[in-house]
Amino acid sequence: MGTSGSGQSPIAPADSVARPAPDAGPLERLRELLLAPEVRALVEVRGRLADLEASQQALARRLPGALEALQGEAETRRMAAALSAPVAQALGTAVRTRRQLLVDALFPVIGPLIRKSIAEALRNLVADLNAAIESSFTLRGLKWRIEAWRAGVPYAEVVLKHRLAYRIDHVFLIERASGRVLWHAAAPELAALDADAIAGMLTALGDFVQDSVGAGEGGGNLESATVGEHLVWIASGPAANLACFMRGAPPERLRSRLQERLEEVHARCADGWPEQGRPLPEWDGLLQPSALLSAGDAAAPATPPARLWPWILLLGLTACGLVAWLLGNHVWDTRIQALRARLAAQPGMIVGAIDSRPWRSLTVHGLIDPDAPPLDAGVVAAGLGGVVPTLALDGYVSTDDAVVARRAARLLAPPATVTLGVQQGVLRLEGSAPGAWLAAARERAGWIAGVARVDLAVQPQADPAAAALLELRGLARELEDIEVPFTEGDAPGPGADAQLAAIVERARRARVLAGQAGVDLVLESVGSNDETGGVEINRRVRAQRAQWLATALAARGIDGVRSTDVGSGRHRSAWLRLAIGDVP
Amino acid sequence: MSGATHKLCLLGDFGVGKTSLVARFVHSTFSDKYLTTVGVKVDSKQVALPGRAAVKLVIWDIAGRNALDALGRNYLRGAAALLLVADGTREDSLASALDLLMQSRSVVPGAIVTLAVNKFDLLDEWEVVPPVLVELRRSLPVFETSARTGEGVEAAFADLAGRLAS
Repeated sequence: MGTSGSGQSPIAPADSVARPAPDAGPLERLRELLLAPEVRALVEVRGRLADLEASQQALARRLPGALEALQGEAETRRMAAALSAPVAQALGTAVRTRRQLLVDALFPVIGPLIRKSIAEALRNLVADLNAAIESSFTLRGLKWRIEAWRAGVPYAEVVLKHRLAYRIDHVFLIERASGRVLWHAAAPELAALDADAIAGMLTALGDFVQDSVGAGEGGGNLESATVGEHLVWIASGPAANLACFMRGAPPERLRSRLQERLEEVHARCADGWPEQGRPLPEWDGLLQPSALLSAGDAAAPATPPARLWPWILLLGLTACGLVAWLLGNHVWDTRIQALRARLAAQPGMIVGAIDSRPWRSLTVHGLIDPDAPPLDAGVVAAGLGGVVPTLALDGYVSTDDAVVARRAARLLAPPATVTLGVQQGVLRLEGSAPGAWLAAARERAGWIAGVARVDLAVQPQADPAAAALLELRGLARELEDIEVPFTEGDAPGPGADAQLAAIVERARRARVLAGQAGVDLVLESVGSNDETGGVEINRRVRAQRAQWLATALAARGIDGVRSTDVGSGRHRSAWLRLAIGDVP
Repeated sequence: MSGATHKLCLLGDFGVGKTSLVARFVHSTFSDKYLTTVGVKVDSKQVALPGRAAVKLVIWDIAGRNALDALGRNYLRGAAALLLVADGTREDSLASALDLLMQSRSVVPGAIVTLAVNKFDLLDEWEVVPPVLVELRRSLPVFETSARTGEGVEAAFADLAGRLAS
């Protein structure tokens, strides 16, 4: 069984399939007859594929030219509408799958955008900081600080609030090509201006800026201009521009709002702009300054409402402060006068000038006698609100009776038994005093400063030593008559105890008096006998009786009694003799 | 009675007196310094027309030049009328004005045109001879004006306003 040949396609053309090859075998012929419809269909499909490939290649060649040929506005719009959905979808897919490629492609655009945004933010921040610093030391800054204090908010917040406040003075809708005014509105209180000339000039400036620094047509527009607090923002559209003249610092969202309103104006005029001088009524609702300020904007009112109460409060505080100051000064002066009176009443003191700063310091100048009674610090500082007075006092000699009395008391040092007084310069001394003091006082009193005359009525006092000595001598005489009786030898006789007790009492008193008189005292016990007996026996008996007495006195607390046997022979007795030393 | 507003551009060579003509006609809002800085100064004037609504002219005084550059063409856009100004004592200024007119046609093909030959007060020194003016009047309105004396100035602007209103 043969084949159709090595160079033939496995799928032969339809006409060749329909007619079996003359040299084909019966089986081959049968296969061709059975499969002929499928083979023909397969050939047709292949042909279509070839045509489709060819048409795609032709379309790729023709497409750029076809797109370039779409110059008409209507065709371009249709093409844009048709491509918007697939292009958006393609972009979405590209963002998901080929992100880096898009980032690389957009890099030249993103960089400048970011830099512009950062630069604008920094410029605004610096402007706000400058405004805050500038306003810190001005009357307006003080006002804002008071407002911040009253509201309990940070000062920066108040500054920001005021700096963000703005107002719209004029709104111009300007025909882009000619610079003519299509519509204009101004704040009510502003004076009329030549809107046409201003709009024309603004358009000319825009053209000038675009031609000078822009990239020509479509290369950029004049978007804003600033002079001091005056500001012009211009939203540009294909047929008209919207210019907004403002004062203050409008928020960036106002720029977006201007652009939105301009786009809406264009949308409403898509079918044609109204004749010149006949603006659409709805422009008022879109473009009026009040319409551009939404409720959320903090536009500053043309004239802020006068708020008097802060000034009234300030005035009230000032008045209260003034009254308090005057009252304080009055109270101080009153108390200074009272202090002067108190000091003037002090004996031995003369008050001069008083220098004072109310409730802060006080210095008293004057004279004071050293013998004047000391000043009571509590009395001096009373009512001075904690101010400690400084006393700048010089010395002098006072003739005040009280001071003279103190001086006399210091100089004379009178004993307690003497009273001292001064009246009208007369020094009177009364009472009793030792003779020595009396003699000195009589000599010195007349020389005391301030004493004109001395009235001395002081009795001289007795000498206690002499009196004691006198009494001591009396006791000595008494003791010589008080004898302790003996019967025989050293045996005491009846009544001996009573006599011994009398001797003890007087011996004690004698020692006290000797101390007062300042003399030496020696106690001697003396024994005695009668005339009977021999001399030697009597001497021994006298010694025994003297010793008995000394021993008996020592037993009763009288020590140091010296016994002697040289008593006279008058009785059978013993007695105590006082030997008194010389007066010093 | 207020009518429409029209843009009027003044074109002419250096020193022909355009700014003086405008100063004679309007009370300027802006300083002349814009002419040397921005290259244009804009004023406006309401022109009363007998029996008709007044016309407001927005007058663009374009700095003197003998050829229109790109900025000058921008300033011309949307102009409804052109006032060509020439200096009667300088014949070349008349040629420059006509040349500027030709150049401006591509920007404002439909604008009406009036020619003001200025410095009429120096008539003895004029280089522009009357036959030339006669010939020009066949193509466009021509006014002899004097910014110094004011002669012909109001008439030239009134002619333009009247033609714009009609």
